[in-house]
Amino acid sequence: MTTTLAGGRAARRQTMRRIRPRRSPATLLLLAVWAGAVGVLWLWWHNTPSIADQNGKILNAGRITGLLAGYLMALVVLQMARVPALERRVGSDRVARWHAMSGRYTLCLVFAHVFLIMWGYALQAGKTLSDIVQQTIDSVNQLPDMGKAAIGTGLFLLIGLSSIGGIRRRLPYDLWYHVHLLTYAAVFFTFWHQITTGNDFALTPIAKTVWYGLYGTVTALVVWYRILTPIRLNMRHRMRVEAVIEETPGIVSVLIGGRKLHRMGAEAGQFFRWRFLAPGMRFSSHPYSLSAAPRPNMLRITVKAIGDHSARLRELRPGMKVWAEGPYGALTSQRRTRGKVLLVAGGVGITPMRALFETLPGAAGDITLLYRANTTQDLALWDELAKIADERGARLMYAVNSPDGERPDISADSLRRKLPDIDNHDVFMCGPPGFAQSVYEALRGAGVPARRIHHESFEM
Amino acid sequence: MHPLKKNRPLRRIVLASAVTASGLVLLLALKPHTTPAIAVAPAPASSNSGTGSGGSSTTGTKTVTGDTAQTQWGPVQVKITVKSGKLTDVTVLQSPSENPRDQEINSYALPELKSEALAAQSASIDTVSGATYTSDGYRQSLQSALDSAGL
Repeated sequence: MTTTLAGGRAARRQTMRRIRPRRSPATLLLLAVWAGAVGVLWLWWHNTPSIADQNGKILNAGRITGLLAGYLMALVVLQMARVPALERRVGSDRVARWHAMSGRYTLCLVFAHVFLIMWGYALQAGKTLSDIVQQTIDSVNQLPDMGKAAIGTGLFLLIGLSSIGGIRRRLPYDLWYHVHLLTYAAVFFTFWHQITTGNDFALTPIAKTVWYGLYGTVTALVVWYRILTPIRLNMRHRMRVEAVIEETPGIVSVLIGGRKLHRMGAEAGQFFRWRFLAPGMRFSSHPYSLSAAPRPNMLRITVKAIGDHSARLRELRPGMKVWAEGPYGALTSQRRTRGKVLLVAGGVGITPMRALFETLPGAAGDITLLYRANTTQDLALWDELAKIADERGARLMYAVNSPDGERPDISADSLRRKLPDIDNHDVFMCGPPGFAQSVYEALRGAGVPARRIHHESFEM
Repeated sequence: MHPLKKNRPLRRIVLASAVTASGLVLLLALKPHTTPAIAVAPAPASSNSGTGSGGSSTTGTKTVTGDTAQTQWGPVQVKITVKSGKLTDVTVLQSPSENPRDQEINSYALPELKSEALAAQSASIDTVSGATYTSDGYRQSLQSALDSAGL
């Protein structure tokens, strides 16, 4: 049994506007971050007229790493505050990757800072590196807020270890996630010693104000966008499961109803983070893309039932409450720069592509969808796609393995043959990482510039 | 960087570490190694608001006690000895010494502050690392003593 949703002509009409490609604010943001880093280094520079000797160098290196770590830590938390400007303009996947990279770097700075400062203190008191442990114990006991800082550092160590690739893969996702949430506590505990023990903050009172401002702002944003906004969203829209439909064996669609869902401003290509308030699913939240244009009273997601969470979706019953956060994601028609668009979907990556296929404005012949799956059985939502292609005059192509398991040829040549003017297309892609990588290379080989290839991937 | 460009984590790690390390070394190397000596022009005999008590004058030598400066950790008060218009000695009358850490800090900070003061012949001396508040208080008390002494 398959669901058939009527073509979204109405939805398309609403989104008929001039193609005005919006540049991602990523470059500007990176510049601002570097400017802040320079400001932080200047603070140290201004407060340090000279360095007496080698011992002083080590202590000051500890100070610099401490200042940078304190600054970056606020930004690391900010990236995960789900600020719409980041999630929708830069893209949730890209921000998550930045967060992973900057998080690892910042933790390294934290540990370097602890080591260097304690060594520096030991040297200053006429001791040596071997006394560093005792020096650490003494400092934690005697300096203000250092007890808290020690607890925070211990938490950071735990969080850092749990996120090392090899260890993370062995942990169940929910365990890893809850350990990671301790970051908020770790940041809280380590914040105070910066203000009260930090040399540069004692010497420059305005730096204290700036620090409180920075951390205060980040805290406010986290509370607003991660706690208050979802509460308001869910109270306003009251989403519930309407129906659960098995599209093909192993692929399940969930229809979600609610009030005034169009007011959430979701666009085709975006996703929500869903939490189903059913036994066993309450405590985990997973991102799934909308697989059809959002309607005022209905949203649809289509999920491949692998992994313990998605398999459970079959057990959902109409009426069960849904807690959603979003909309997130930057893989929308706003990224478009050309009249012609190629949509490439691999496996369950068809979901956002199916939504875009329905709503991307375009004349007959402008839109093409290439759907790659293992077998024709796995081409989920095919009937709908065919219907949309028919109505819109869009092209629909599929690529499956041959009966003896041979993979289809998706290369620069075959793409150019199918679409001679492919280098004048915008390409939207969604699929497993290996697939996305090889298609990317094929597209580049066929002459599509990198800036016209739009892609979303949550691989870290 | 486009997310699909070949991801080379090892190269990123090496690059980040190298840039950070060399940045640190550069910043530290750019700072001068000795405390800059600041010349102080002798001020007229009647000085400004210094409530420190004047001491006895013995053949061009006089001692002046500075104000007590209150710091987060306790009071700091110094007494200076001035001979023929030159600062020749600084004695600490009060310093925070409530706990072992304070005493530890004093043991290295106070001598250093003293030698810096004598070298600079003023209260424009650097903070001793790890002794922020003590240095602050020292400077304040020293400055008030210098003001009273007319230096």
